[in-house]
Amino acid sequence: MKRVKSLLLAAFAVVLSVSYVLPAAVASAESNTSSAALSIAPKKNYVIDPGKSVQDKLTITNLDQTSPLNLTLRVVDFSYTGNGGTPKLMLDPNATPTTWSLRSDLKVPETVTVDPGKTKQVSIDVSIPAGHGAGSYYSAIVYSSGSGQGGNVGLNASGVTLVFVNVPGKVKEDLTFTHLGAYDRSEQGAISGYRYFMAQMPDSIAYTLKNSGNVIEAPAGSITLRDIFGRTTTINDINPTGSLALIGQERTFTSCIKLKTEDVKLSGTSTKSTTCDAPGLWPGYYSVSADLFYGQNGNLTQEITKTGGFWYLPWWFVVTMIVVLSVAGFYGWRAYNKLRNKFYGPRVAKTKSARRK
Amino acid sequence: MGRMRHLLFWLHTFFHSWRYICTEEFLALLLALFVFMMPVSATTRFETRGLFMQTTDPGATTSYTITMKFMSPQQVGSVDLLFCNDPIPYMPCVVPTGLDVSQATLTSQSGETGFSIYSKTQNHIILTRTPASPTFPSESSYTLSGIKNPTDTSQAFSIRMKSLTSIDGTGPLVDFGSVRGQVQAGIEIQTQVPPMLIFCAAQHVDDNCAGTDETYYRDMGTLSPTDTLTAQSQMAVGTNASQGFVVTANGPPMAAGTSVINSPTLPTPSEPGTNQFGINLVENTVPQVGGDPEGTWANAVPSADYAQANKYKFVSGDVVAYSPNVSLMRKFTVSYILNSNKDLRAGVYTTTITLIASGRF
Repeated sequence: MKRVKSLLLAAFAVVLSVSYVLPAAVASAESNTSSAALSIAPKKNYVIDPGKSVQDKLTITNLDQTSPLNLTLRVVDFSYTGNGGTPKLMLDPNATPTTWSLRSDLKVPETVTVDPGKTKQVSIDVSIPAGHGAGSYYSAIVYSSGSGQGGNVGLNASGVTLVFVNVPGKVKEDLTFTHLGAYDRSEQGAISGYRYFMAQMPDSIAYTLKNSGNVIEAPAGSITLRDIFGRTTTINDINPTGSLALIGQERTFTSCIKLKTEDVKLSGTSTKSTTCDAPGLWPGYYSVSADLFYGQNGNLTQEITKTGGFWYLPWWFVVTMIVVLSVAGFYGWRAYNKLRNKFYGPRVAKTKSARRK
Repeated sequence: MGRMRHLLFWLHTFFHSWRYICTEEFLALLLALFVFMMPVSATTRFETRGLFMQTTDPGATTSYTITMKFMSPQQVGSVDLLFCNDPIPYMPCVVPTGLDVSQATLTSQSGETGFSIYSKTQNHIILTRTPASPTFPSESSYTLSGIKNPTDTSQAFSIRMKSLTSIDGTGPLVDFGSVRGQVQAGIEIQTQVPPMLIFCAAQHVDDNCAGTDETYYRDMGTLSPTDTLTAQSQMAVGTNASQGFVVTANGPPMAAGTSVINSPTLPTPSEPGTNQFGINLVENTVPQVGGDPEGTWANAVPSADYAQANKYKFVSGDVVAYSPNVSLMRKFTVSYILNSNKDLRAGVYTTTITLIASGRF
């Protein structure tokens, strides 16, 4: 009897254990079967008067065909990284809001779930309080998949939408040139990318602007290259991607000397891609002059100019020039000596007595 | 022979005299050019130029108020307004898409007044009046109603302005300058393909992000002072946004309680026996881990510091991959290495790396 009792107890214990353990294992598996594949809008721009608001939709697509996409949304501030167009996200929840922050004006849902392979539109609200000063305001919406816990290295995938709001009115605009010249694009906007001597044919010209105003700026204008023979090459669209100089930023803009445009397809949609093409420059010195315009609606249009230059000296040209100059120098010297000897006779070393005279 | 000698003598005397011309006289000439020519070009530009568009909605019919200050005392009989994408006067004029000023009317004017519309086309207006000298300095404004805004929100447009002595926009130029405007919608109306950013990350991902293995963590094994622990994950990213994308790696250093394994801040080879946690995005042989980026689209690349084979670093917030413009899908393999010193405190060392994909501005 005792044995039957202990068997029953053991069986109960096994059932109890299984009933506890199995749901835990399943729950654990469920927590990991979440998508981390998303498609979002990288940027949103709005023009909003003080005291008014805008309701818009964010489109989020779950690219995973089998698992739902569970996202946590939050608004963070951002500034800039270096002289390029990389946003520096301020992810600390306790970070002090920036002077251009939209954190208190931009409302987004805290969580969003998107079914496998589906697209969802999420409402957002941007309200600019009455009395808000004119200028640019910006923050970022971070979508966190929040899936990676466990092991030594956990992995999270997040996407970001940059949100820019322009509040119209009289603003402080102040752009100044700091650099202009040939540029090595692999430097990603760093000032160190400017080159005065280039052995490889430059395919882009860059200019750096310091934005000391209270509004983001996207300059327009043209850049002219002039070689030593006076031939000119003009870059008409110096900011084809509409890049921005954020508030306080010293931003480097790069422009292709010769632009190549091609149609590309991404996720079934066609779009235009622009890349730099070889501009076919001849070796030598090039002067560069830039004429830029900026100004918000209802404010003064301002014009700034700068000149610079660079040498394009490929190695083959340098070697050829050295050889040509050496040969020319050699034969020139020989010809000079020949003529000199013909007209004035051979050189005679001065004697001591002659020097004394 | 004598003739040749004479020629050489003549050349010598000729260039000897030029020696002086190239110094004092030439410098004097240059200075004179600076003194007399610079003010001429400066005074021919309008100052205090501005444009106010009553509505900036693309394609809307609205009014434009143009302000300028006449800077030259010469008589002005006409003002020429040419609407182009490029503000530079000598560049070819491309008409802003959707713009139409052919129905414009001059509804108000201040400062230099007496103007009426002489002629108008889709992108060109000439204002005329009886020639008169501006009251100096004369800040003036002109409001033109019935202008249809351009429709392209992606680029600015300009009005190239000229004042002329004649009444019909021909003849000698007096002042010139450009103002700039841009249409912007309160809410962007997507008439074209909207910009999108596609991103996925897991231990293994498909090229187009259509699927992942849904594994978001990796147990790297037991730490040893003689071996390097390795792991790898993948991410795929692409965008049709013209400014491209960046992917940053964010996270705390690997730690077990208060004991921390720091990461090199510069690309550094793997050194077993030292405390070291690092990543890169290329194929490595020491140790054997990772893979080079996959996909034909070459715009998207790993950042220079994370693109060196057999060298690893990790600084939270660093850009690990980027594209400066439109980029089709490209797949990156992230390699992780972990080394430990023999004196490292025992514990389970963990970290969570958050890969954040964002557009550029």
